Amino acid sequence: MAAVLEFDCLTKEYHSFPGRCLRALDNFSLRVEPGEIFGFLGPNGAGKSTAIHLAMGFMRPTRGSGTLLGQPFGQAAARRRVGFLAENVALYHRRAERLLRFYGALNGMAGSRLDQRAQKVLEMVGLHEQAKRNVGRFSRGMLQRVGLAQALIDDPELLILDEPTSALDPSARVAVRELLLKARSAGKTIFLSSHLLSEVEMVCDRVAVLHHGKLVCTGRTTDLLAAGEQLELVARGIPAGLFPGAVAENGVIRFSIPASAQRATAEAIWSKSGEIVSMNPRRRSLEDIFLEVTSEADKEDKVQ
Amino acid sequence: MKPVVLIAVNFVREQRWPIFVLLLWVLLLAFLGLITEVPRGRDDLLFVFKQVAVYAVVFSIFFGGSAIYNERRSRRILAVLAKAVAREQYLSGLVFGVTLACGIYCFSLGITGSWTLGQAGFPALQVWFLMMCLLAACMLAGTVALMFSTFLNPFFSAGATAFLLGVPAVASRTLSTHWGYLLPVYSLTATVLKTTFDSPGSVTWLPVAWAFGETLLFWFLAARIFSRVDIAVAVE
Repeated sequence: MAAVLEFDCLTKEYHSFPGRCLRALDNFSLRVEPGEIFGFLGPNGAGKSTAIHLAMGFMRPTRGSGTLLGQPFGQAAARRRVGFLAENVALYHRRAERLLRFYGALNGMAGSRLDQRAQKVLEMVGLHEQAKRNVGRFSRGMLQRVGLAQALIDDPELLILDEPTSALDPSARVAVRELLLKARSAGKTIFLSSHLLSEVEMVCDRVAVLHHGKLVCTGRTTDLLAAGEQLELVARGIPAGLFPGAVAENGVIRFSIPASAQRATAEAIWSKSGEIVSMNPRRRSLEDIFLEVTSEADKEDKVQ
Repeated sequence: MKPVVLIAVNFVREQRWPIFVLLLWVLLLAFLGLITEVPRGRDDLLFVFKQVAVYAVVFSIFFGGSAIYNERRSRRILAVLAKAVAREQYLSGLVFGVTLACGIYCFSLGITGSWTLGQAGFPALQVWFLMMCLLAACMLAGTVALMFSTFLNPFFSAGATAFLLGVPAVASRTLSTHWGYLLPVYSLTATVLKTTFDSPGSVTWLPVAWAFGETLLFWFLAARIFSRVDIAVAVE
Protein backbone atom coordinates (compact mmCIF):
# COMPACT_ATOMS: atom_id res chain seq x y z
CA MET A 1 0.00 0.00 0.00
CA ALA A 2 1.29 3.47 -0.92
CA ALA A 3 2.39 5.64 1.99
CA VAL A 4 0.27 8.69 2.77
CA LEU A 5 3.33 10.62 3.83
CA GLU A 6 6.89 9.61 3.12
CA PHE A 7 10.19 11.25 3.94
CA ASP A 8 13.05 9.79 1.96
CA CYS A 9 16.58 10.54 3.23
CA LEU A 10 15.72 14.17 3.87
CA THR A 11 18.33 16.60 5.06
CA LYS A 12 17.59 20.21 5.84
CA GLU A 13 20.29 22.70 6.65
CA TYR A 14 19.83 26.31 7.63
CA HIS A 15 22.63 28.58 6.51
CA SER A 16 23.30 31.91 8.09
CA PHE A 17 25.93 34.58 7.69
CA PRO A 18 28.91 34.16 8.04
CA GLY A 19 29.05 30.59 6.85
CA ARG A 20 27.28 29.04 9.84
CA CYS A 21 25.20 25.97 9.19
CA LEU A 22 22.59 24.27 11.36
CA ARG A 23 21.44 20.81 10.34
CA ALA A 24 17.79 20.57 11.43
CA LEU A 25 17.16 17.20 9.76
CA ASP A 26 19.79 14.62 9.01
CA ASN A 27 19.07 11.89 6.46
CA PHE A 28 15.58 11.50 7.83
CA SER A 29 13.33 8.75 6.47
CA LEU A 30 9.83 7.83 7.61
CA ARG A 31 6.66 6.28 6.20
CA VAL A 32 3.16 7.00 7.42
CA GLU A 33 0.62 4.40 6.36
CA PRO A 34 -3.02 5.13 5.50
CA GLY A 35 -5.58 5.01 8.30
CA GLU A 36 -3.20 5.31 11.24
CA ILE A 37 -2.60 7.93 13.87
CA PHE A 38 1.13 8.54 13.85
CA GLY A 39 2.77 10.25 16.81
CA PHE A 40 5.78 12.39 16.00
CA LEU A 41 7.80 13.07 19.13
CA GLY A 42 10.99 14.83 20.01
CA PRO A 43 12.46 17.44 22.35
CA ASN A 44 12.35 21.13 21.45
CA GLY A 45 14.55 21.84 18.45
CA ALA A 46 14.63 18.20 17.38
CA GLY A 47 13.41 19.10 13.87
CA LYS A 48 9.74 18.07 14.09
CA SER A 49 8.31 21.33 12.78
CA THR A 50 10.98 21.45 10.07
CA ALA A 51 9.92 17.99 8.87
CA ILE A 52 6.27 19.07 8.85
CA HIS A 53 7.04 22.30 7.02
CA LEU A 54 9.00 20.37 4.40
CA ALA A 55 6.05 18.02 3.92
CA MET A 56 3.70 20.99 3.49
CA GLY A 57 6.01 22.60 0.94
CA PHE A 58 6.78 25.64 3.09
CA MET A 59 10.47 24.81 2.76
CA ARG A 60 12.73 23.04 0.30
CA PRO A 61 14.97 20.22 1.46
CA THR A 62 18.74 20.57 1.17
CA ARG A 63 18.93 16.91 0.12
CA GLY A 64 16.48 14.07 -0.28
CA SER A 65 12.83 14.06 -1.22
CA GLY A 66 9.42 13.02 -0.03
CA THR A 67 5.83 12.48 -1.06
CA LEU A 68 2.55 13.73 0.31
CA LEU A 69 -0.45 11.65 -0.78
CA GLY A 70 1.64 10.21 -3.60
CA GLN A 71 2.85 13.58 -4.94
CA PRO A 72 6.21 15.27 -4.37
CA PHE A 73 6.27 17.78 -1.52
CA GLY A 74 5.07 21.26 -2.45
CA GLN A 75 2.23 20.37 -4.84
CA ALA A 76 -0.90 22.47 -4.29
CA ALA A 77 -3.11 19.66 -5.62
CA ALA A 78 -1.93 17.33 -2.83
CA ARG A 79 -2.50 19.99 -0.17
CA ARG A 80 -6.18 20.15 -1.19
CA ARG A 81 -6.58 16.76 0.54
CA VAL A 82 -4.58 17.73 3.62
CA GLY A 83 -5.65 19.57 6.76
CA PHE A 84 -2.84 21.40 8.51
CA LEU A 85 -2.64 23.03 11.91
CA ALA A 86 0.52 25.00 12.72
CA GLU A 87 2.12 25.05 16.15
CA ASN A 88 1.47 28.76 16.67
CA VAL A 89 -1.95 29.32 15.21
CA ALA A 90 -2.12 32.63 13.31
CA LEU A 91 -5.36 33.49 11.58
CA TYR A 92 -6.97 36.60 10.12
CA HIS A 93 -9.11 38.61 12.48
CA ARG A 94 -12.67 38.12 11.33
CA ARG A 95 -15.77 36.25 12.39
CA ALA A 96 -15.06 32.56 12.99
CA GLU A 97 -17.68 31.42 10.49
CA ARG A 98 -16.44 33.78 7.76
CA LEU A 99 -12.87 32.80 8.42
CA LEU A 100 -13.68 29.14 7.90
CA ARG A 101 -15.54 29.97 4.70
CA PHE A 102 -12.45 31.87 3.51
CA TYR A 103 -10.15 28.89 4.11
CA GLY A 104 -12.67 26.48 2.59
CA ALA A 105 -13.02 28.69 -0.49
CA LEU A 106 -9.22 28.73 -0.88
CA ASN A 107 -9.50 24.96 -1.20
CA GLY A 108 -12.13 25.28 -3.92
CA MET A 109 -15.21 24.74 -1.76
CA ALA A 110 -18.31 26.83 -2.46
CA GLY A 111 -22.03 27.27 -1.93
CA SER A 112 -24.18 25.43 0.57
CA ARG A 113 -21.59 22.67 1.03
CA LEU A 114 -19.13 25.22 2.36
CA ASP A 115 -21.72 26.88 4.60
CA GLN A 116 -22.84 23.57 6.07
CA ARG A 117 -19.32 22.33 6.52
CA ALA A 118 -18.28 25.57 8.30
CA GLN A 119 -21.17 25.11 10.74
CA LYS A 120 -20.35 21.46 11.24
CA VAL A 121 -16.65 21.89 11.98
CA LEU A 122 -17.40 24.71 14.42
CA GLU A 123 -19.74 22.30 16.17
CA MET A 124 -17.07 19.59 16.11
CA VAL A 125 -14.59 21.82 17.94
CA GLY A 126 -17.25 23.18 20.30
CA LEU A 127 -17.31 26.73 18.96
CA HIS A 128 -20.72 26.85 17.25
CA GLU A 129 -21.94 29.40 19.77
CA GLN A 130 -18.96 31.64 18.97
CA ALA A 131 -19.50 31.49 15.20
CA LYS A 132 -20.33 35.19 14.91
CA ARG A 133 -17.49 36.38 17.16
CA ASN A 134 -14.30 37.87 15.80
CA VAL A 135 -11.37 35.48 16.07
CA GLY A 136 -9.16 38.38 17.18
CA ARG A 137 -10.98 38.38 20.51
CA PHE A 138 -10.57 34.65 21.10
CA SER A 139 -8.42 33.14 23.86
CA ARG A 140 -5.41 31.03 22.83
CA GLY A 141 -7.32 27.82 23.41
CA MET A 142 -10.26 28.98 21.32
CA LEU A 143 -7.86 30.10 18.60
CA GLN A 144 -6.34 26.64 18.57
CA ARG A 145 -9.81 25.15 18.17
CA VAL A 146 -10.60 27.48 15.24
CA GLY A 147 -7.26 26.44 13.78
CA LEU A 148 -8.31 22.82 14.06
CA ALA A 149 -11.65 23.69 12.47
CA GLN A 150 -9.94 25.28 9.45
CA ALA A 151 -7.79 22.15 9.11
CA LEU A 152 -10.95 20.02 9.06
CA ILE A 153 -12.99 22.29 6.77
CA ASP A 154 -12.57 20.26 3.57
CA ASP A 155 -12.87 16.85 5.26
CA PRO A 156 -9.22 16.03 4.49
CA GLU A 157 -7.76 12.55 3.98
CA LEU A 158 -4.66 13.45 5.96
CA LEU A 159 -4.45 15.66 9.01
CA ILE A 160 -1.05 17.11 9.92
CA LEU A 161 -1.28 18.59 13.38
CA ASP A 162 1.61 20.36 15.10
CA GLU A 163 0.88 20.52 18.85
CA PRO A 164 -2.92 20.62 18.42
CA THR A 165 -3.76 20.49 22.13
CA SER A 166 -0.97 22.53 23.73
CA ALA A 167 -3.26 25.45 24.67
CA LEU A 168 -6.38 23.45 25.46
CA ASP A 169 -7.96 22.76 28.84
CA PRO A 170 -8.41 19.10 29.90
CA SER A 171 -12.02 18.80 28.69
CA ALA A 172 -11.17 20.30 25.29
CA ARG A 173 -8.21 17.90 25.08
CA VAL A 174 -10.54 14.94 25.63
CA ALA A 175 -12.85 16.32 22.92
CA VAL A 176 -9.95 16.65 20.46
CA ARG A 177 -8.76 13.14 21.32
CA GLU A 178 -12.22 11.77 20.57
CA LEU A 179 -12.31 13.75 17.36
CA LEU A 180 -9.01 12.21 16.26
CA LEU A 181 -10.19 8.70 17.07
CA LYS A 182 -13.41 9.32 15.14
CA ALA A 183 -11.40 10.61 12.18
CA ARG A 184 -9.29 7.45 12.24
CA SER A 185 -12.36 5.22 12.27
CA ALA A 186 -13.59 7.20 9.24
CA GLY A 187 -10.40 6.09 7.45
CA LYS A 188 -8.41 9.32 7.82
CA THR A 189 -4.70 9.41 8.53
CA ILE A 190 -3.37 11.65 11.26
CA PHE A 191 0.21 12.81 11.67
CA LEU A 192 0.41 14.23 15.16
CA SER A 193 3.35 16.11 16.57
CA SER A 194 3.05 16.62 20.31
CA HIS A 195 4.89 17.01 23.58
CA LEU A 196 1.95 15.60 25.52
CA LEU A 197 3.19 12.02 25.67
CA SER A 198 0.21 10.70 27.63
CA GLU A 199 -2.07 11.93 24.83
CA VAL A 200 0.11 10.36 22.18
CA GLU A 201 0.18 7.10 24.13
CA MET A 202 -3.60 7.04 24.25
CA VAL A 203 -4.35 7.70 20.58
CA CYS A 204 -1.36 6.83 18.42
CA ASP A 205 -0.95 3.52 16.59
CA ARG A 206 2.70 4.18 15.84
CA VAL A 207 5.23 6.67 17.09
CA ALA A 208 8.60 7.99 15.99
CA VAL A 209 11.08 9.89 18.14
CA LEU A 210 13.27 12.50 16.52
CA HIS A 211 16.38 13.82 18.25
CA HIS A 212 18.87 16.33 16.86
CA GLY A 213 17.33 15.84 13.43
CA LYS A 214 17.77 12.07 13.46
CA LEU A 215 15.19 9.36 13.89
CA VAL A 216 16.15 7.51 17.07
CA CYS A 217 13.14 5.28 17.62
CA THR A 218 10.10 4.17 15.68
CA GLY A 219 7.54 1.43 16.12
CA ARG A 220 4.04 0.43 17.17
CA THR A 221 3.06 2.10 20.44
CA THR A 222 1.93 -1.17 21.99
CA ASP A 223 5.16 -2.95 21.04
CA LEU A 224 7.32 -0.15 22.44
CA LEU A 225 5.41 -0.13 25.70
CA ALA A 226 5.60 -3.92 26.02
CA ALA A 227 9.31 -4.17 25.19
CA GLY A 228 11.55 -4.60 28.22
CA GLU A 229 8.57 -5.30 30.47
CA GLN A 230 9.42 -5.19 34.15
CA LEU A 231 7.87 -6.64 37.28
CA GLU A 232 7.67 -4.86 40.60
CA LEU A 233 8.25 -7.23 43.46
CA VAL A 234 7.51 -6.83 47.18
CA ALA A 235 8.96 -9.45 49.54
CA ARG A 236 9.70 -9.90 53.24
CA GLY A 237 11.91 -12.05 55.42
CA ILE A 238 15.06 -11.43 53.37
CA PRO A 239 17.78 -8.77 53.49
CA ALA A 240 17.53 -5.91 50.96
CA GLY A 241 21.18 -6.32 49.98
CA LEU A 242 20.37 -9.62 48.31
CA PHE A 243 18.90 -7.92 45.21
CA PRO A 244 20.43 -4.93 43.41
CA GLY A 245 18.30 -1.82 43.65
CA ALA A 246 16.07 -3.21 46.41
CA VAL A 247 14.72 -0.68 48.92
CA ALA A 248 13.65 -1.67 52.44
CA GLU A 249 10.60 0.06 53.88
CA ASN A 250 7.97 -0.85 56.52
CA GLY A 251 9.40 -4.35 56.98
CA VAL A 252 9.32 -5.27 53.30
CA ILE A 253 11.70 -4.81 50.40
CA ARG A 254 10.73 -3.48 46.96
CA PHE A 255 12.61 -3.93 43.72
CA SER A 256 12.11 -4.32 39.99
CA ILE A 257 13.19 -7.24 37.85
CA PRO A 258 12.91 -8.08 34.14
CA ALA A 259 9.87 -10.25 33.39
CA SER A 260 12.19 -12.99 32.17
CA ALA A 261 13.80 -13.25 35.64
CA GLN A 262 10.48 -13.90 37.39
CA ARG A 263 10.94 -17.61 38.18
CA ALA A 264 14.62 -17.37 39.16
CA THR A 265 13.96 -14.44 41.51
CA ALA A 266 10.98 -16.16 43.17
CA GLU A 267 13.04 -19.30 43.73
CA ALA A 268 15.90 -17.24 45.17
CA ILE A 269 13.54 -15.59 47.68
CA TRP A 270 12.01 -18.91 48.71
CA SER A 271 15.43 -20.56 49.05
CA LYS A 272 16.35 -17.88 51.61
CA SER A 273 13.07 -18.60 53.48
CA GLY A 274 11.64 -15.28 52.31
CA GLU A 275 8.03 -14.63 51.32
CA ILE A 276 6.69 -12.88 48.22
CA VAL A 277 4.03 -10.31 49.22
CA SER A 278 3.20 -9.17 45.67
CA MET A 279 4.54 -9.36 42.15
CA ASN A 280 2.95 -6.92 39.65
CA PRO A 281 3.80 -5.94 36.10
CA ARG A 282 5.37 -2.50 36.05
CA ARG A 283 4.06 -0.67 32.96
CA ARG A 284 6.47 1.53 31.05
CA SER A 285 5.08 4.78 29.81
CA LEU A 286 5.87 6.52 26.56
CA GLU A 287 7.60 9.12 28.71
CA ASP A 288 10.03 6.45 30.00
CA ILE A 289 10.76 5.33 26.46
CA PHE A 290 11.15 8.91 25.25
CA LEU A 291 13.62 9.79 28.01
CA GLU A 292 15.48 6.53 27.49
CA VAL A 293 15.97 6.90 23.74
CA THR A 294 16.81 10.59 23.83
CA SER A 295 19.39 10.17 26.61
CA GLU A 296 20.92 7.21 24.77
CA ALA A 297 21.13 9.34 21.64
CA ASP A 298 22.77 12.11 23.66
CA LYS A 299 25.36 9.64 24.99
CA GLU A 300 26.10 8.39 21.45
CA ASP A 301 26.47 11.98 20.26
CA LYS A 302 28.97 12.68 23.04
CA VAL A 303 30.98 9.55 22.21
CA GLN A 304 31.14 10.62 18.55
CA MET B 1 -8.57 32.17 -10.32
CA LYS B 2 -10.80 32.01 -7.24
CA PRO B 3 -7.91 31.81 -4.73
CA VAL B 4 -6.29 34.81 -6.47
CA VAL B 5 -9.43 36.92 -6.02
CA LEU B 6 -9.86 35.74 -2.42
CA ILE B 7 -6.26 36.62 -1.53
CA ALA B 8 -6.57 40.00 -3.26
CA VAL B 9 -9.81 40.91 -1.47
CA ASN B 10 -8.31 39.70 1.79
CA PHE B 11 -5.25 41.90 1.18
CA VAL B 12 -7.46 44.96 0.66
CA ARG B 13 -9.38 44.09 3.81
CA GLU B 14 -6.17 43.78 5.81
CA GLN B 15 -4.95 47.14 4.43
CA ARG B 16 -8.26 48.92 4.98
CA TRP B 17 -6.84 51.49 7.40
CA PRO B 18 -3.98 52.72 5.17
CA ILE B 19 -6.45 52.83 2.27
CA PHE B 20 -8.84 54.83 4.43
CA VAL B 21 -6.08 57.30 5.30
CA LEU B 22 -5.26 57.63 1.58
CA LEU B 23 -8.89 58.33 0.82
CA LEU B 24 -8.80 61.21 3.30
CA TRP B 25 -6.51 63.02 0.85
CA VAL B 26 -9.10 62.56 -1.86
CA LEU B 27 -11.66 64.01 0.53
CA LEU B 28 -9.31 66.96 1.04
CA LEU B 29 -9.36 67.59 -2.71
CA ALA B 30 -13.16 67.44 -2.71
CA PHE B 31 -13.22 69.86 0.23
CA LEU B 32 -10.90 72.27 -1.62
CA GLY B 33 -13.21 72.03 -4.63
CA LEU B 34 -16.06 73.12 -2.41
CA ILE B 35 -14.35 76.09 -0.78
CA THR B 36 -12.16 77.35 -3.65
CA GLU B 37 -13.33 79.97 -6.05
CA VAL B 38 -12.72 77.70 -9.01
CA PRO B 39 -11.90 80.18 -11.85
CA ARG B 40 -9.24 81.89 -9.70
CA GLY B 41 -7.80 78.90 -7.87
CA ARG B 42 -7.84 76.34 -10.66
CA ASP B 43 -4.04 76.05 -10.86
CA ASP B 44 -3.91 75.41 -7.12
CA LEU B 45 -6.55 72.73 -7.50
CA LEU B 46 -4.55 71.05 -10.26
CA PHE B 47 -1.43 71.20 -8.10
CA VAL B 48 -3.21 69.48 -5.19
CA PHE B 49 -4.71 66.94 -7.60
CA LYS B 50 -1.25 66.04 -8.95
CA GLN B 51 0.22 65.85 -5.48
CA VAL B 52 -2.55 63.58 -4.20
CA ALA B 53 -2.20 61.44 -7.34
CA VAL B 54 1.51 60.81 -6.81
CA TYR B 55 0.87 59.47 -3.28
CA ALA B 56 -0.70 56.42 -4.91
CA VAL B 57 2.62 55.39 -6.48
CA VAL B 58 4.46 55.80 -3.17
CA PHE B 59 1.83 53.76 -1.33
CA SER B 60 1.86 51.04 -3.97
CA ILE B 61 5.59 50.56 -3.25
CA PHE B 62 4.90 50.31 0.47
CA PHE B 63 1.95 47.96 -0.10
CA GLY B 64 3.98 45.71 -2.41
CA GLY B 65 7.16 45.85 -0.35
CA SER B 66 5.56 44.86 2.93
CA ALA B 67 2.86 42.39 1.86
CA ILE B 68 4.89 39.16 2.07
CA TYR B 69 6.90 40.32 5.07
CA ASN B 70 3.77 41.09 7.12
CA GLU B 71 2.20 37.76 6.26
CA ARG B 72 5.35 35.82 7.08
CA ARG B 73 5.97 37.71 10.28
CA SER B 74 2.44 37.10 11.53
CA ARG B 75 2.69 33.49 10.26
CA ARG B 76 -0.73 33.84 8.64
CA ILE B 77 0.84 32.86 5.34
CA LEU B 78 1.13 29.25 6.59
CA ALA B 79 -2.62 28.67 6.88
CA VAL B 80 -3.13 30.12 3.38
CA LEU B 81 -0.35 28.18 1.66
CA ALA B 82 -1.41 25.01 3.51
CA LYS B 83 -4.51 25.04 1.29
CA ALA B 84 -4.60 24.26 -2.42
CA VAL B 85 -2.90 27.55 -3.26
CA ALA B 86 0.24 27.53 -5.40
CA ARG B 87 2.88 30.15 -4.65
CA GLU B 88 2.35 31.84 -8.02
CA GLN B 89 -1.35 32.11 -7.24
CA TYR B 90 -0.49 33.63 -3.89
CA LEU B 91 1.73 36.25 -5.54
CA SER B 92 -0.91 36.94 -8.20
CA GLY B 93 -3.36 37.55 -5.38
CA LEU B 94 -1.00 40.07 -3.81
CA VAL B 95 -0.35 41.85 -7.15
CA PHE B 96 -4.09 41.97 -7.76
CA GLY B 97 -4.64 43.14 -4.16
CA VAL B 98 -2.12 46.00 -4.50
CA THR B 99 -3.74 46.96 -7.83
CA LEU B 100 -7.20 46.77 -6.27
CA ALA B 101 -6.16 48.97 -3.33
CA CYS B 102 -4.63 51.54 -5.70
CA GLY B 103 -7.63 51.13 -8.03
CA ILE B 104 -9.99 52.15 -5.23
CA TYR B 105 -7.84 55.22 -4.66
CA CYS B 106 -7.56 56.09 -8.37
CA PHE B 107 -11.30 55.61 -8.87
CA SER B 108 -12.13 57.91 -5.94
CA LEU B 109 -9.58 60.44 -7.15
CA GLY B 110 -11.00 60.17 -10.68
CA ILE B 111 -14.50 60.98 -9.45
CA THR B 112 -13.32 63.86 -7.26
CA GLY B 113 -10.87 65.13 -9.89
CA SER B 114 -13.35 65.06 -12.75
CA TRP B 115 -15.77 67.04 -10.57
CA THR B 116 -13.36 69.64 -9.16
CA LEU B 117 -11.18 70.04 -12.25
CA GLY B 118 -14.22 69.69 -14.53
CA GLN B 119 -15.66 72.81 -12.90
CA ALA B 120 -12.45 74.62 -13.83
CA GLY B 121 -12.72 73.55 -17.45
CA PHE B 122 -10.43 70.52 -17.50
CA PRO B 123 -11.71 67.71 -19.78
CA ALA B 124 -13.18 64.96 -17.55
CA LEU B 125 -12.16 62.20 -19.97
CA GLN B 126 -8.57 63.33 -19.63
CA VAL B 127 -8.82 62.93 -15.85
CA TRP B 128 -9.81 59.29 -16.34
CA PHE B 129 -6.93 58.75 -18.76
CA LEU B 130 -4.55 60.18 -16.15
CA MET B 131 -6.04 57.82 -13.57
CA MET B 132 -5.43 54.92 -15.95
CA CYS B 133 -1.77 56.02 -16.26
CA LEU B 134 -1.54 56.30 -12.49
CA LEU B 135 -3.06 52.86 -11.92
CA ALA B 136 -0.66 51.28 -14.44
CA ALA B 137 2.27 53.01 -12.70
CA CYS B 138 1.03 51.79 -9.28
CA MET B 139 0.60 48.24 -10.52
CA LEU B 140 4.11 48.09 -11.96
CA ALA B 141 5.74 49.84 -8.97
CA GLY B 142 3.88 47.55 -6.53
CA THR B 143 4.91 44.43 -8.45
CA VAL B 144 8.57 45.50 -8.59
CA ALA B 145 8.46 46.11 -4.82
CA LEU B 146 6.78 42.73 -4.33
CA MET B 147 9.50 41.06 -6.39
CA PHE B 148 12.21 42.59 -4.18
CA SER B 149 10.25 41.72 -1.03
CA THR B 150 10.47 38.01 -1.86
CA PHE B 151 14.08 38.16 -0.64
CA LEU B 152 14.50 41.55 1.08
CA ASN B 153 12.84 43.16 4.07
CA PRO B 154 10.35 46.01 3.38
CA PHE B 155 12.89 48.77 4.00
CA PHE B 156 15.44 47.41 1.54
CA SER B 157 12.81 46.35 -0.97
CA ALA B 158 11.40 49.90 -1.00
CA GLY B 159 14.95 51.23 -1.47
CA ALA B 160 15.74 48.76 -4.23
CA THR B 161 12.46 49.57 -5.98
CA ALA B 162 13.11 53.30 -5.77
CA PHE B 163 16.57 52.75 -7.21
CA LEU B 164 15.37 50.50 -10.05
CA LEU B 165 12.54 52.86 -10.97
CA GLY B 166 14.80 55.87 -10.58
CA VAL B 167 17.45 54.73 -13.08
CA PRO B 168 15.20 55.13 -16.18
CA ALA B 169 13.94 58.42 -14.72
CA VAL B 170 17.46 59.82 -14.45
CA ALA B 171 18.39 58.40 -17.88
CA SER B 172 15.35 59.98 -19.50
CA ARG B 173 16.27 63.37 -18.08
CA THR B 174 19.96 63.20 -18.91
CA LEU B 175 20.17 61.04 -22.04
CA SER B 176 16.93 60.65 -23.94
CA THR B 177 13.23 60.60 -23.00
CA HIS B 178 13.01 57.14 -24.57
CA TRP B 179 14.84 55.72 -21.56
CA GLY B 180 11.76 56.58 -19.49
CA TYR B 181 9.91 53.74 -21.21
CA LEU B 182 12.38 51.15 -19.96
CA LEU B 183 10.37 50.96 -16.75
CA PRO B 184 7.53 53.36 -17.47
CA VAL B 185 6.60 54.23 -13.88
CA TYR B 186 8.39 57.55 -14.20
CA SER B 187 7.02 58.39 -17.65
CA LEU B 188 3.46 57.49 -16.55
CA THR B 189 3.76 59.57 -13.38
CA ALA B 190 5.28 62.39 -15.41
CA THR B 191 2.25 62.31 -17.70
CA VAL B 192 0.14 63.11 -14.63
CA LEU B 193 2.59 65.67 -13.24
CA LYS B 194 3.17 67.57 -16.49
CA THR B 195 -0.46 68.00 -17.39
CA THR B 196 -1.80 71.59 -17.34
CA PHE B 197 -5.07 73.30 -18.17
CA ASP B 198 -3.46 74.66 -21.32
CA SER B 199 -2.01 71.30 -22.42
CA PRO B 200 -3.93 68.40 -20.88
CA GLY B 201 -1.73 66.08 -22.96
CA SER B 202 -2.51 63.59 -25.69
CA VAL B 203 -3.92 60.17 -24.91
CA THR B 204 -1.10 57.68 -25.55
CA TRP B 205 -1.82 54.15 -24.43
CA LEU B 206 1.56 52.66 -25.29
CA PRO B 207 3.22 53.28 -21.87
CA VAL B 208 0.10 51.95 -20.14
CA ALA B 209 0.19 48.76 -22.20
CA TRP B 210 3.97 48.53 -21.71
CA ALA B 211 3.50 48.83 -17.92
CA PHE B 212 0.98 45.95 -17.99
CA GLY B 213 3.49 43.83 -19.92
CA GLU B 214 6.31 44.60 -17.50
CA THR B 215 4.04 43.88 -14.55
CA LEU B 216 3.62 40.37 -15.96
CA LEU B 217 7.38 40.07 -16.37
CA PHE B 218 8.12 41.13 -12.78
CA TRP B 219 5.33 38.89 -11.48
CA PHE B 220 6.99 35.99 -13.30
CA LEU B 221 10.38 36.86 -11.80
CA ALA B 222 8.84 37.21 -8.34
CA ALA B 223 7.12 33.83 -8.71
CA ARG B 224 10.40 32.14 -9.72
CA ILE B 225 12.21 33.58 -6.70
CA PHE B 226 9.35 33.03 -4.26
CA SER B 227 9.04 29.35 -5.24
CA ARG B 228 12.54 28.85 -3.75
CA VAL B 229 12.01 30.77 -0.53
CA ASP B 230 11.62 28.95 2.81
CA ILE B 231 8.55 30.77 4.04
CA ALA B 232 8.37 29.06 7.42
CA VAL B 233 11.71 30.52 8.51
CA ALA B 234 11.41 33.51 10.86
CA VAL B 235 11.81 36.76 8.92
CA GLU B 236 13.46 38.77 11.72
